[in-house]
Amino acid sequence: MDYILHVLILALIYSIFAVSLNLELGYAGLYNFGHVAFFGIGAYISALLSRAGMPVEGAMLCAMAGAGIAGGLLAVPALRVTEDYFGIATLVFAEMFRLVCLNERWLTKGPMGLPGIPRPAWIARGVDGLPVYLILTAMAAAGVFLFVRRLTGSPFGRALKVIREDEHIAQAFGKNVFLLKIKTIVTGSALAGLAGTLWAHYISYISPADFSLTETILVVLCVVLGGRGTNWGPVLGAFAVIFFGEAVRFLPIPHELHRYVAPLQGVVYGGILVLIVLKMPNGMIAEHRRNGA
Amino acid sequence: MSYYLQLLLNGVIAGSVYALFAVGLTLVYGVFRFINFSHGELITWGAYLTLMFYTPPFSWPLYLSAIPAMILTAVIGFSQDFFIYRPLRRGNPITLLIASIGLSYMLRNAVRFIWGSDLRTFDFPPARGLEFGGYYVTGIQLLMLSAAVFFLAILYLGLTRTLWGKSLRATADNLELAAIMGISMPRVSASVWILASVFAAAGGILLALDTNLEPFMGATNLIKAFAAVLLGGAGNVWGALLGGLFIGIAENLGVAFFSPGYKDLVAFALIFLLLLFRPRGLFGLLTGVR
Repeated sequence: MDYILHVLILALIYSIFAVSLNLELGYAGLYNFGHVAFFGIGAYISALLSRAGMPVEGAMLCAMAGAGIAGGLLAVPALRVTEDYFGIATLVFAEMFRLVCLNERWLTKGPMGLPGIPRPAWIARGVDGLPVYLILTAMAAAGVFLFVRRLTGSPFGRALKVIREDEHIAQAFGKNVFLLKIKTIVTGSALAGLAGTLWAHYISYISPADFSLTETILVVLCVVLGGRGTNWGPVLGAFAVIFFGEAVRFLPIPHELHRYVAPLQGVVYGGILVLIVLKMPNGMIAEHRRNGA
Repeated sequence: MSYYLQLLLNGVIAGSVYALFAVGLTLVYGVFRFINFSHGELITWGAYLTLMFYTPPFSWPLYLSAIPAMILTAVIGFSQDFFIYRPLRRGNPITLLIASIGLSYMLRNAVRFIWGSDLRTFDFPPARGLEFGGYYVTGIQLLMLSAAVFFLAILYLGLTRTLWGKSLRATADNLELAAIMGISMPRVSASVWILASVFAAAGGILLALDTNLEPFMGATNLIKAFAAVLLGGAGNVWGALLGGLFIGIAENLGVAFFSPGYKDLVAFALIFLLLLFRPRGLFGLLTGVR
């Protein structure tokens, strides 16, 4: 029972993470392959602040704000390049973030990571706190989902879709493309920071290895598998990816073959990503388009 | 002073191997206009396949193990294109980039599946460095340098002196125009992938001889190769060569000034700055001779 709660919490946190990436990747066509950096920035900020004695709720808000500001600071220079170059610039940013966490031991304790990140005072430690933490995560996820749905249904969201399809048309209609993109990235990064902080306070231990390229691939997989540019797609994708990852544990695998499980899972994730791009580019939920366009 | 010259020498040797990686990456970009993220995995596979033929049950000598390893890597590179990239070619470069990221993750985990995640080595006995007027070079470093020079010389002659090289350069310059002129596209695309794979594998083998093998070696070196490609201007073969040398030297000299933990940051920071300020490459002037 506790295990099911645990998987649900993970899936909900990943849903927030995937929804925030979808805002950039699915709606605005900004292929951010360094999104995990903002998840990590959120996690580190709130871990450091709460370990220093700040109430967890305050630390979480600071983490969101910090991740959003970091997103803005990255976006201003990175938006000078477009499409695949933007993808590489953001990917490199995420790797730089990881290297800094690995090397600035005075702040992050380097590869040892930060242990003992507290939960909010009103949530019990250990297994007893799981139901309450699940409710907290579910409320955050629902809030993020409704907020993003409202945002993408608004004129703002429609402007983003126009930018995705053709920037020049958006410009011709008098939209400030640069500003709209900055707003998108700041919002997306702050929401990724929220996912990161929920994760850090739940797992209670973070290290630079948690924010590697592997996590980027997982979250891109969630969005692309579920369906880019749809509201439910990334949520569905996140649940599918997390449940698949956990289901593998229950396969009757003899003990001496255990070292093969994680690599095989990686092969399957990578293979699914390639197959979707090849055979099902719209994902599980296709974006609704009028006139078949 | 001699300390810095020693670092410079190490940098040139490392850079010559980075150049091998960068050449293939930039050729693929020049012809197909997308960043092949799984290029790094060709490096890893080249190295691991050599190790496979070098150790039991094969136990072949090193120079004999390298040949089938390079051929098999070329097969992997060619099949990547045939099964995945070719059907996607008409689409957006982002689609190709996502596919190549997925593919690289798949291939890297396949290495972990087959050979495990632990560090592996070729187990050479530690050899004394050779001394040249106060500077030390190991036998393996000499091999790295000479092999890199050999491969790059062949590339130079091939690209400039043969009809095959001409057709390749023409295609990198303008794909449609080259196709109109009757250059066979399947042949060009096959040679690009085979060239890229063989060079990546050769570099991977040399690197593994000098250091060790691990499933992430390709991903790490892909970043360096990519920095070299950007330095030289994407699609520019000679630029990538210079870029590779530059990265090798910058990294090794950097060790003198800041913590070795940040060695990889040099390439990252270079990519970031170049993309933002000089997206056409530092050696953009050289585009005329690619």
